[in-house]
Formats: sequence, structure tokens, C-alpha cells
Amino acid sequence: MKLENRAPAEGINASNENPLIELAWLLAGSLGVIVALVIVVSLAAQWIAPRIPYRYEAKLAATLPSFATAPDNEPGRRVQAELQALADRLAARLDMPDGMVVRIGYRDDRTVNAFATIGGQAVFFRGLLVKLDNENALAMVMAHELAHLKYRHASAALGRGVAVGVILSVVSAELGRNAAAGVLGQAGMATLLSFNRDQERAADEAALSALHAEYGHVGGAIDLFEVFARLPNEQRSPNVPAVEFLRTHPLTANRIAAIRHWAADNGAAIDGPRRPLPPGIAALRK
Amino acid sequence: MLDLIEFGLFVTLLIVGFFAGTIVEKRHYASIRKREREYADVLAFAVRFPPDRVTPQRAFLVHGTVVISSDYFKTFVAGLRNLFGGRLRTYETLMERARREALLRLKHDARRQGAKLVICVRFETTTISTGWAASIEVFAFGTALIPERDTGLAFGARSALPA
Amino acid sequence: MLVSNLELVPGRRIVAHYGIVQGSTVRAKHVGKDIFAGLKNIVGGELKGYTELMQEARQEAVERMIAEAQSMGANAILNVRFATTSIAAGAAEILAYGSAVQLDGP
Repeated sequence: MKLENRAPAEGINASNENPLIELAWLLAGSLGVIVALVIVVSLAAQWIAPRIPYRYEAKLAATLPSFATAPDNEPGRRVQAELQALADRLAARLDMPDGMVVRIGYRDDRTVNAFATIGGQAVFFRGLLVKLDNENALAMVMAHELAHLKYRHASAALGRGVAVGVILSVVSAELGRNAAAGVLGQAGMATLLSFNRDQERAADEAALSALHAEYGHVGGAIDLFEVFARLPNEQRSPNVPAVEFLRTHPLTANRIAAIRHWAADNGAAIDGPRRPLPPGIAALRK
Repeated sequence: MLDLIEFGLFVTLLIVGFFAGTIVEKRHYASIRKREREYADVLAFAVRFPPDRVTPQRAFLVHGTVVISSDYFKTFVAGLRNLFGGRLRTYETLMERARREALLRLKHDARRQGAKLVICVRFETTTISTGWAASIEVFAFGTALIPERDTGLAFGARSALPA
Repeated sequence: MLVSNLELVPGRRIVAHYGIVQGSTVRAKHVGKDIFAGLKNIVGGELKGYTELMQEARQEAVERMIAEAQSMGANAILNVRFATTSIAAGAAEILAYGSAVQLDGP
């Protein structure tokens, strides 16, 4: 009987394939799956949320502190009242959902911004108001926020955020590994932000219609975006990279072009007489 | 900003893990192949009974053990694999290295004590996990045989006794 | 290729021993199976998905062991044993090992 140790061939139990290839395939596959999941879930949430009757959104908003506040002084309350009056006028031009009561809040803060949130509430900051020259520009901002309320974008964003958050946490729990989950989370986030751009475009279009109905022209919109374009970088929004993909709002130059297209498509006038700001708001500029 | 730093750190660890891991693996394989040629005279088998049951033998247990850890790159790829399932090629090389190393250390143990034949070799594998990374421990053990009297009949030559 | 966990094959003689052969594979499950298994943990019963997974892995390990033996020129593997280890990342390693031999006869 012969006794010997023969060496088996190499490469049977372990392959010589470059692990980088495997990594590339896995990354592509997982990023693809995550992005696809996020897209599907976001679309679903976005489609469902606005169809839930407004009274449920109102009830949810009622459980949270109200956004429609104003500083506890005479000038502050006056500004809030003027903003509310403008909102009510413009809301009549937009077909707001049944049962939605639009309430406007004002913050005495130098942030240059305004936002719409659930429960029919929109908030304006002093920093934005003092940058505007005339009522038309202010009306464009107001109409834009009202359009967000009309389309229930805030509740769509809320539903989307919750659904995507659940997916990402399920995925990261599955992987149980911070690194891999972190990378995949970034991928999910990038896809999420791109939907907001579409919502902003829709809001711009509705706002232009309302503006045109109220004033006969859309010059206010051009004024507004020219103000934004002139803002130095730090005031627009700190830490926001200039590349459009990662920002939630379309870049200002795109928006101005969009206005001109809209005006051309709808035969609307781009220019016309501007109304002066309401006195309380104009007083802020001093 | 903090996110960027974290991400950068992660990418750096991944790159370091990949390159360092590849170098370590290549060196280990080279060392394994060299020593396998060196220890080619110590024979190891998985059979339970000695080939020659007539000659009196001295028998004793020999073993070899090794713990090899996986690097950051391997762990990350394994994490991604968990989404799709399938073959974990990166871990397979790890296991193979560990087994061959353990067998070599077993042969070394046998030769050190003067044996040239080891039978009934068994392998036991364990995982030692430190949180997120895995280390593999392979324990190989067997019975080494030394003929009681050196009758001049070295194994491998034709034996006069019936097989 | 004859594969057996016996020491010998009745009626045939071992002509030569060629050494230890091993076949191993490391397999990971995927999320779908995991989620399903989590649900099955509530009602109990066989996890068919995992059973199939382990069967495939074991089959693969045995095939690799046979490939090693063939590359050595053996025609049988005796004293086959299996070892399974779970590796932290939700993966399992199946190891099949045995002794490659040359049998006489047909």
C-alpha cells in the first residue's frame, strides 16, 4: 500500500478573482435596490398623503404647538395681520382644500426664509420681508407657500420622510454594520431631496397663476428671484453646496427661466405696475 | 461637515483594509506554499486506523491551531453580501489559509516530536467575533505514530507484510 | 468518485493513500430569507428557505472536495466528515473533509 501526500490543485476552495470586482457588483446592486425602494416608497407616500382628508392632517397639527405665532409687540402683531390679509386675498385665487383655514405666523428673525407646514400654517421671517421692495414680490412668496398648502406638500413630505426612515432603519438593522448602512443611507437621502425640487416647481406654477389673477402680471415673481440671486451666499443658506442635485430647491437661475417660459406659454404679461408694501411691513425696512 | 469626515474615515479604512489585507494574504500564501514543500515528508491522513496494524507504534495526540482575523474590507463586503446572499469569496480565502496553516502547525508538532505519520486528522472551526468583525480559529488535531523499533521499514517503501 | 464516511469499502482494497482533501464554502443568506425566518419564528416549523440554502452549500462543499481528490488522481474519498461554523456576518461555512485514496477493482 502506497502512502503519500499529494498536493491538490490550487484555487478550488478559494477563488483568485479580484475582490474589488465583487465589491463593485455588490455596491452597484445594493445602491440600486435602495434607490429603487426609496423611489417607490416616496411615490406611494406622496400619492397617498394628499388624498387623506384634510381633517386628519388638521387633527395631527392640533396636537403640535401652533406655528402661526407672532412676536408679543404691536409692530409684530401688525405685520402678522397684514400678512394674514394678503394670504386670505390670494387664497381666494387658489382652490384651497375643504376645511383648511390658512394661518400665518411671523418671526422677528434675520433668517431670509419662509416655509409652509402642516395644518394650513405658513411662517415668514423678518429677514425675508425686509429684502422685498413691493407687494407683488411679497405676494409671490405668499402665493408660493399657499400653493404648498393647497397641494398638501408638507403632509406628503412627512409621509415620505417616515416611510423612507422606516426602510433605511430596517436595512441598517439587517446589515448591523454602521459603515455599510451609512453609505446606503446617503444614497437614500440623495434620491429623497430630488422630489422636493418637483414640488417646488409645482408650487411656483400655481403661485404664478394666482399672482397673475390678482395683479394682472407676474412681474413680482421676477422681482423676487432677482432679490434671491443678489443675496450673498451665506444668507441664502449656509453649508448648502451649489450643485443643484443636493439642494432641495431648484437654483434661482432655473426658476427665473421657468417664469419666463410659463408667461410665454400662458400669454401672461411679465411686467406691470407694482403695488407698495403694506405699511407695517414697509416699516420693518427702516 | 462631520458627515464628510466620517465618510472620509470610512473610505480610508476600507482602502487600508483592502491593500493591507491583500498584501498580508499574499505573503501568508507564499509562506504556506513554501512550508508545505518543507513538510512534505510528514504524512497526514484522515483515516481512522493506521495503514500498518502489525508493527507496534507509539501514538500520541498532535495539534495545530491558528486564529486569523478578517480585515475591514472583508467585513464590509460581507455586510453588503447579506442583502443578496451567495458565495462570500473574501471569507473563503480566509478559511482556506487558516486550515492550511493549522495543518502545517500540526505537522510541525509531529515532526518536532519525531513522527513522520499522522492519522485521524480532524478539524474544528470556531468564530471569535469582536463586535462587528470576525476572526476564525481553526484547530486541527490528529494521532501521530512512531514505529516502536526502527525495523528499517520506513513507510513509503514496499512492506514485506501483506497490506 | 466514490465518497463514503466508512473507513473501508467492502470488497475493495485500498492501493494508495494520497492525503487529506477538503472542500469548503462560505455562504450568506439574503434579507428576504432573514425576514421570512423572523416571521416563521413566531409560528414555528421548518425554514424551507434555509434548509435549501444549507443543502446547496453542503453540495458545493462536497463537489469541491471531490475536485481536490480528482486533481490528486484519487478515485475515492473515505472517512468523510462535515463541520459547520457560523461566521459573524450572518454567513456559515460548510467544511467537508476526508481521505483521498486509490481503490483497486472496477
